[in-house]
Amino acid sequence: MTWAELAEKQATVVQMLKNSILKERLAHAYLFEGKQGTKTDLMAFQLAKAFLCQKRGDDAEPCHTCEHCRRIDSGNHPDLHLIQAEGASIKVDQIRHLLKEFSYQGLESTRKVYIVEEADTMTNSAANSLLKFLEEPGGESLAILQTTKRHAILPTIQSRVQVLSFAPLPPESVIETLLEKGYSEVQARIASQIAADVEEAESLCSSDWIAQARSKVIQLVHEISKRPQRALLTVHEHWLPFFSERSSLQLGMDMLMLWYRDLLRVQIGQENQVVYTDCMDDLKNQALSQSQPTIRHKLTAIFDAKRRLDANSSPQLVMDQLLLKLQEG
Amino acid sequence: MDRQRKGRIIFHVDMNSFYASVEAAHDPSLRGKPLAIAGSIEERRGIVVTASYEARAQGVNPPMPLWEAKKSCPDLVVRKPDFPKYRQASENMFQLLYEYTPLVEPVSIDEGYMDVTHPVDDRPPLEIAKHIQDRLLKELALPSSIGVAPNKFLAKMASDMKKPLGITVLRKRSVPDVLWPLDVIEMHGVGEKTAEKLKRQGITTIGELAKSDPIQLKSSFGVAGVRMHERAYGEDHRQVDPDAISEFKSIGNSTTLPRDTKNEAVVRKVLMNLSDSVSRRMRRKEVYGGNIQLTIRYKDRKTITRSRKLDHPISSSQDIYEEVWALFQQYWDEKPIRLLGVTAQDIVEKGHAHQQLDLFQYADTLKREKLSNTVDHIRNKFGEGALLKGAQMSEDSSDLLRDEEKRGTSLEKDFLREGFLNEKQDNED
Amino acid sequence: MKFKVHRDQFVQGVQHVAKSISQRTTIPILTGMKLEASAEGVTLTGSDSDISIEYFIPKEDEEHQYVEVFEEGSIVLQAKYFTEIVKKLPKETVEISVQDQFATTVMSGSAVFNLNGLDPEEYPRLPQVEEDKTFQIPKDLLKNLIRQTVFATSNAETRPILTGVHWQLNDEQLTCSATDSHRLAMRKAKINTNSSGLSFSNVVIPGKSLSELSKVLNDSDELVDVVVSENQILFKADHFLFFSRLLEGNYPATENMIPTEAKTSVILQSKRFLSAIERSMLLSEDNKNNVVNLKTIGNGMLEITSVTPEVGKATEEVTSEEMSGEDLRISFNGKNLIDALKVVDSEEVKIDFTGAMSPFVLKPTDHDHSLHLFSPVRTY
Repeated sequence: MTWAELAEKQATVVQMLKNSILKERLAHAYLFEGKQGTKTDLMAFQLAKAFLCQKRGDDAEPCHTCEHCRRIDSGNHPDLHLIQAEGASIKVDQIRHLLKEFSYQGLESTRKVYIVEEADTMTNSAANSLLKFLEEPGGESLAILQTTKRHAILPTIQSRVQVLSFAPLPPESVIETLLEKGYSEVQARIASQIAADVEEAESLCSSDWIAQARSKVIQLVHEISKRPQRALLTVHEHWLPFFSERSSLQLGMDMLMLWYRDLLRVQIGQENQVVYTDCMDDLKNQALSQSQPTIRHKLTAIFDAKRRLDANSSPQLVMDQLLLKLQEG
Repeated sequence: MDRQRKGRIIFHVDMNSFYASVEAAHDPSLRGKPLAIAGSIEERRGIVVTASYEARAQGVNPPMPLWEAKKSCPDLVVRKPDFPKYRQASENMFQLLYEYTPLVEPVSIDEGYMDVTHPVDDRPPLEIAKHIQDRLLKELALPSSIGVAPNKFLAKMASDMKKPLGITVLRKRSVPDVLWPLDVIEMHGVGEKTAEKLKRQGITTIGELAKSDPIQLKSSFGVAGVRMHERAYGEDHRQVDPDAISEFKSIGNSTTLPRDTKNEAVVRKVLMNLSDSVSRRMRRKEVYGGNIQLTIRYKDRKTITRSRKLDHPISSSQDIYEEVWALFQQYWDEKPIRLLGVTAQDIVEKGHAHQQLDLFQYADTLKREKLSNTVDHIRNKFGEGALLKGAQMSEDSSDLLRDEEKRGTSLEKDFLREGFLNEKQDNED
Repeated sequence: MKFKVHRDQFVQGVQHVAKSISQRTTIPILTGMKLEASAEGVTLTGSDSDISIEYFIPKEDEEHQYVEVFEEGSIVLQAKYFTEIVKKLPKETVEISVQDQFATTVMSGSAVFNLNGLDPEEYPRLPQVEEDKTFQIPKDLLKNLIRQTVFATSNAETRPILTGVHWQLNDEQLTCSATDSHRLAMRKAKINTNSSGLSFSNVVIPGKSLSELSKVLNDSDELVDVVVSENQILFKADHFLFFSRLLEGNYPATENMIPTEAKTSVILQSKRFLSAIERSMLLSEDNKNNVVNLKTIGNGMLEITSVTPEVGKATEEVTSEEMSGEDLRISFNGKNLIDALKVVDSEEVKIDFTGAMSPFVLKPTDHDHSLHLFSPVRTY
């Protein structure tokens, strides 16, 4: 990865970082936050290289070939510390190790870099231990925290780091690429909305998963409006078994949300923006029978349900309650 | 089932041959064997402290010399006492009891009273008793006997009636039938000396005690005589006091929040008030705490306690607050909180607290102590609200903790208060 | 790379270096030992990132030839397997050669081991020795400096800088100090510097590293070269180099904590005083309440007491060699005094008190190159 390659999708962030490097005004700690697929991790390693490389160019580009750059790639740089979740979370012992490293000078120079991947998975006590360091950073060290869930990062941590938000990728560019690769438009449209970048969208399409998921969504919304008494059964017999992983259920919910957004689009005459293009008749029918506030209400309900899933509520419970709300009005 | 709620419902939970049971719980091979715990394994000097029921069945009756025990029970397995193990088991056992009510009064390492008039769940008392007994046996492998009665005295008498693994209900109305025929020595609180003295006055049974003249009893036994007379009628007004045993070992307060919260500002304020009240109780008693404990009960009733050993004992509200706040930040798992508690443990009396001064900053230490005393002085003179920190100024039930009159002096007194409010509805029969 | 080496010499080196290698590291390459063959000989390197040890086996000395290098080069071998293999080699010489892709063969007589090596380019770069920033110190003095200071470092994580020993060099005088914020140990030593006017301060060496160093140094008065770089300190002895990372941050000022006046002064026999305190503390539980009370009781006598709640009180009397100034009553952490008295190299010590609530100083009477400072304990 080079700055130029990263700038294709994250021009602002790259510009900012390059300027700070050249003016020697890097913050002591950054939080890179962006959706899945925005390459916050690659950016973190690029910044680490630029910080440690001793043959950095005038354009802030690390040389990618010196002993520092190469060992950053291979994971053997002694003054680069990478913290990743062990199991589901980053434990306080891992942060304790980090704090000990913070209190020492580097092995090869006075410069040290710490990358905390998925910083949102830090346990509460881990986050609080890290906070102590962020309050009193020592020496020439650089800390980079990376997350896809900024809201899950303690506010006290956010206020002590420089937050760089990575731009989500525009759906149009994703759709185009997918169409070029021969995927159907209906699939491409949905995938582009729920995936964060081309690669993820493509992998969703290629596995046929998206086609099946789409039919589950269409089946569910159909039953909610036509045969409400069957909807609960459908959730238990078809929906939950298909979206059995928490992460896939989240995607299913995203797709459900797209449906209701389509309803709004139809109501306000933006039919060209609709995602479920092949279901126009159904959309129009449902759009006629519901008011805008009702639909918004339902969107909020789905959004809440997503949040509760994140907070580890039981998927079954969340879906049952969501269904009740979607059947109202 | 009898669900009359006019009186209180008190349990006395008594662990059966506790030390022996704990040993058997740790080493299943000991189960079902005659087991004795003796101070020294040497037969010449050892005294059997506890014996399992299997050993008792073969004539081992603690306290008795080990050689004698071995004579009547040659297969006796003897273990040396392992107090840390027993203390841990005791802690586990009380922790389990606390899950049913905060009103648990430990009496010793292996027995305690519970006030379950208002338990955290609404099961009938006998069912709760059964549940507790089953769980103690299943989760901790410890057998117990439970007495269920309207007061502590009767509960204690009841738990003695069936061992091991008994649950005995003793109502006041059955006192003449059940207690009166018993010898006075059987009465809890009557020792050998008192029993002899009573016998000299012609009182041999509890029934005779009940029928004797309380004024006569008072003249020969003082207030204790009046109390004995009351007890003979099954009367006992003592409250279940969670602080009783720990009078000088811990001082704590807790409060149920008006509504479950995740708001740190609310938590901070409640902890400040709790720290303040704990601090002043400590300073009134002129003691310091070497360990500060935070209790969090979550919405789902899961309760955690976390504590930290301090490098020197403290008593000022500021110091206590700083410790609990640090504990809170470290251990709160961001779920909605129902109750918060602050307890000072490892209590030392004034004159026995030590602080090794810091070479870098010890001028400060002496100053802070002075300030804290001044604040107390001002409050005593001008009232409780005279000096408050910014965050403490708001309406909230934990504010009551600041008020000398309303403040509970026992752990979770406000729990009790809330209970009384609920009780009214139950009582309209 | 290809060389042949004398087995015993090699085993000694490998075992030396293996001490610095830990299998529990977050940097994969550090589980390996680096071998480098050059025209001068073979260098072995190990590191757990906090400390690193480099051991050099010269090609030859006046009496023996140890190494024969056929092809210069380097390799990193998994220390866990390599050290085990080396110990069990049958013949007096070992031949090590590296083929393509870091495949390595270790041969001794009929024993042949093939190991998958790691790329030596991945191995950390240790600081180069710059001869002009060097000073010398005899091994036994260095070990004394360590012994008399490291015990006073803190093991709390709350103030990491205090887990180290602060070294300062000025006017050919090296000052080492350590404190856990309750006691301070200071040791000075006259040093020969290669370059006149070499000075530094705020060099803070982790106490753990110094203890390790002390273990690998034998007792002799041979000189050790000491080199201080920006991020590491390096000790160079006989055939090995010992590196330690330094601590980050500024060491707090300690000079001004030391009182210069005394209200009460006592001179005591070190050993007698030590055992009196030890006896007075017999009743107290370990690491719990180590409070010892000291009181002047006239006639040059001191009373030392220690109270353990629920157990009892122990009283000791000590006769001072000399006493002057006001009467005194003070409490302190007896364990800290014991620690210091155990490393004092003087028959007698002088203690200067400046009041019950002020720090007090303990010094040997024989010389003025060491000093111990203690904070009192407040009872309330």
